[in-house]
Amino acid sequence: MRLSEDDSHALAGAPAAPTYLEDGTTVMSWLNTRDHKRVGVMFLVSVILFFFLGGLFALLIRFKLLQPGPFFLDALGYNRMFTLHGVVMIFLFLIPSIPSAFGNFVLPLMLGARDVAFPRLNLFSYYLYLAGAVLAILAMIQGGADTGWTFYTPYSSTTATQVLPVLLGVFILGFSSILTGLNFIVTVHTLRAPGLSWMRLPLFVWGIYGTSIIQVLATPVIGITVLIVAVERVGGFGLFDPARGGDPVLFQHMFWFYSHPAVYIMVLPGMGVISETVAAFSRKNPFGYKAIAMSSLGIAFVGFFTWGHHMFVAGQSTFNAGAFGILSMFVGVFTAIKVFNWVGTMYRGAISFKTPFAYICGFLYFIVFGGMTGVALATTSLDIHWHDTYFVVAHFHFIMVGASVMAFLAALHYWFPKMFGRMYPEGWGLVAASLIILGFNATFIPQFLLGNCGMPRRYYQYPEHFQALNVASTAGATLLGFGFLIILIYMTIALRYGQRSEANPWGSKGFEWLTASPPPTHNFDEIPTITQMPHDYRTHEPPGVIRVA
Amino acid sequence: MSPEAASLPEGILAHHFASLERQNEAMRLGMWLFLATEILLFAGLFTGYSVYRFEFPLAFAECSRHLSLTAGTVNTIVLITSSFTVALSIHFARTDQRRAAVVCLALTILLALGFLGIKAIEYTAHFREHALPGKYYAFEEVKIPGAAMFYTLYFMMTGLHGLHVVAGMSVLTWLLWRTNQGRYSSRYYTGLELGGLYWHLVDLVWIFLYPLLYLI
Amino acid sequence: MGESGSSGGANVALHPDDRHEEHAHSAIPYVVVWIALLVFTALTYLTGKQHLGTWALFIALAIACLKSALVALIFMHLKDSSGMTRLVFGTSLVFVGILLFFTVADVATRFRPATPAGAPFGTERSRPEGLLEHEMPE
Repeated sequence: MRLSEDDSHALAGAPAAPTYLEDGTTVMSWLNTRDHKRVGVMFLVSVILFFFLGGLFALLIRFKLLQPGPFFLDALGYNRMFTLHGVVMIFLFLIPSIPSAFGNFVLPLMLGARDVAFPRLNLFSYYLYLAGAVLAILAMIQGGADTGWTFYTPYSSTTATQVLPVLLGVFILGFSSILTGLNFIVTVHTLRAPGLSWMRLPLFVWGIYGTSIIQVLATPVIGITVLIVAVERVGGFGLFDPARGGDPVLFQHMFWFYSHPAVYIMVLPGMGVISETVAAFSRKNPFGYKAIAMSSLGIAFVGFFTWGHHMFVAGQSTFNAGAFGILSMFVGVFTAIKVFNWVGTMYRGAISFKTPFAYICGFLYFIVFGGMTGVALATTSLDIHWHDTYFVVAHFHFIMVGASVMAFLAALHYWFPKMFGRMYPEGWGLVAASLIILGFNATFIPQFLLGNCGMPRRYYQYPEHFQALNVASTAGATLLGFGFLIILIYMTIALRYGQRSEANPWGSKGFEWLTASPPPTHNFDEIPTITQMPHDYRTHEPPGVIRVA
Repeated sequence: MSPEAASLPEGILAHHFASLERQNEAMRLGMWLFLATEILLFAGLFTGYSVYRFEFPLAFAECSRHLSLTAGTVNTIVLITSSFTVALSIHFARTDQRRAAVVCLALTILLALGFLGIKAIEYTAHFREHALPGKYYAFEEVKIPGAAMFYTLYFMMTGLHGLHVVAGMSVLTWLLWRTNQGRYSSRYYTGLELGGLYWHLVDLVWIFLYPLLYLI
Repeated sequence: MGESGSSGGANVALHPDDRHEEHAHSAIPYVVVWIALLVFTALTYLTGKQHLGTWALFIALAIACLKSALVALIFMHLKDSSGMTRLVFGTSLVFVGILLFFTVADVATRFRPATPAGAPFGTERSRPEGLLEHEMPE
């Protein structure tokens, strides 16, 4: 069965079936949807909202840090700000962002499926997310927690701030994450279109698959950990109170067993997006498809062996410190493999420098420097100097913002026409991308310098001679914020007034572009039979026609 | 297929699955993934147990001796038998012996209730002796460091396990009702199978809790 | 809305007409396993009461693993299940192992004075378990 040019034009023109957006316009039809595309859109809107909330907290922190002494916030307020910034950004934005928003929308399309394996469970995942979000907001209204997003005991089990609702919120959000991962794994195993073997899976699917494995295996551990701390707060008995023979380092072990793989939950889907977009915007087959696919699994598994590098100075044994230090070196190899393969893909490609490609460039730069500073931090002897300084803060923001958020924005721009049938304004896209990349560098490079000079993180006050770099960082953050704001504005306008796009505006060979943009509720009129490699740009069909049989 | 077999209920094929067989396989895989998350959930508590048993070996041994070994052993037998009866109920369902399946499910639920009853008796005894977790610990007979930690772990692990017994019982009760309605047969029994899997997990956790708590 | 290639694709699907063989499905393995589990329970009870010191833990865990294997393979039908479900179960156990290994290795190899108070090899505790400084009787 071949999708002819007539079909694709017919799909792009007036589809016979209503699009998933038009199929039911009541609020209830959205709240009660089984359609993975609608669940994806709801997640997308929600995570973007929380991104801006977390960003607001960040700007408040940076505003306070303009002055070395007491200013704008009191110490407790400052502690609450960085705690909430971390909690919102990690649990309400980064963890769900690409998987739950774009994964939900695009994964079944890429597999030639009509939905995820368990559509009602998918909707339930979204409601769990909302429930967790509500708890977190309730906590914030009452002042929020002041423990840092890492909730180290015994402070988190004894401080008087609103830790309990935040812990419960995290617990519920964890289950949302678990169920999404579970759903995706079963979907990839049982809903692949005929002919879609494992080695023909799009690279985004490999990224999501690896992420889902981590979600399923790691998240329950933080679930039980926050539950134990919650019980310790409420019931007065727990496992981590030194006064009762407890070991606070045990909390850190259990916490980081999840939270280190969690950073791969946050970055692996982004890597999947980059794999997709690099091929599409270089109009070239991915260099080393197998290596990229396998390294996604590699990161997922090896990431579980490294958590102790967060605890080099916490009091764990030197045996552990040594073991974790060595094991942490291995996980960087997989990222390096991907970087070389992406660059190899771009080499001698026909580059189309659209907004997603600008974000790809940003991503590559940030993941290289963020990754290398990560390897440096994993060196035990160096970490003794850098631990709990701004060096660490800069490192993880390079990855979490520089890489993950860039990838999120690349995905947003790449799949915007797919999801909404409209194009965003390309000129503004490049402007915003430039502001963001510039602003990001201005924000976080000073922080590397500050950390290396010894400025501790999470400190309310700092020595005077650090002020210049802090001011520079705040200026950068403001620029960064403007960049994001511009995107929010033009995307919102484009939703309504953007130029209507054709079914495949990028000429991409991704399988999700086989159907209309936006797709009908049932995704495909006929399930395609896949007979070719994904991202295959060697064929001579004109853009927009993807040979599938 | 015989006319009798054709009249047996089968699962409802969702629109996005290629075949009923594929859908059943997806359900099984989904349940096993969920069981994996439950295993990791309990693993956190087992980790705490391992660390503190290593740190306080004498206290743990001493406290273990003050648990009712009879109650623990009986409970183990009860839970193992309940696993047996639920496996039997699935066997009877897939061989079209509905009434036997219903009876076995009912037995399973009764055994589960029995387990909870025995645990309630144990807990009452602990409360009476003030053998309680954390700051509430005031057990006269064991006053060495680490004893309170043992009871904290004991209550947390059996408590979480007990919650899962209650959840499992609820699922089994719902399945009992559905089996009685004749929804499971040789043509389709996946729903019952999944409930049974969950119950077996509850049994698996206890198989480890028993020696680790009662037989130190 | 036609679907091409229903049960094709890379996934191996069980042939649906295995059903007529279900009537031959026997309950005997379940009975055997049940009895075996009871026997192993008796065994762990007896060996547990011996208080064999360090070996007690290994024996108890070994018996528990045997019992679990029986429940998983026969009661939970892992023996007849697809490779993927077996991989899922096995992987979860491996990761439990990772968590346990590094955490216990930490406390086992730590510099002694950094252990929780009250451990036999730590510093002396001057007050009974469970009481804080201000709760001490005069």
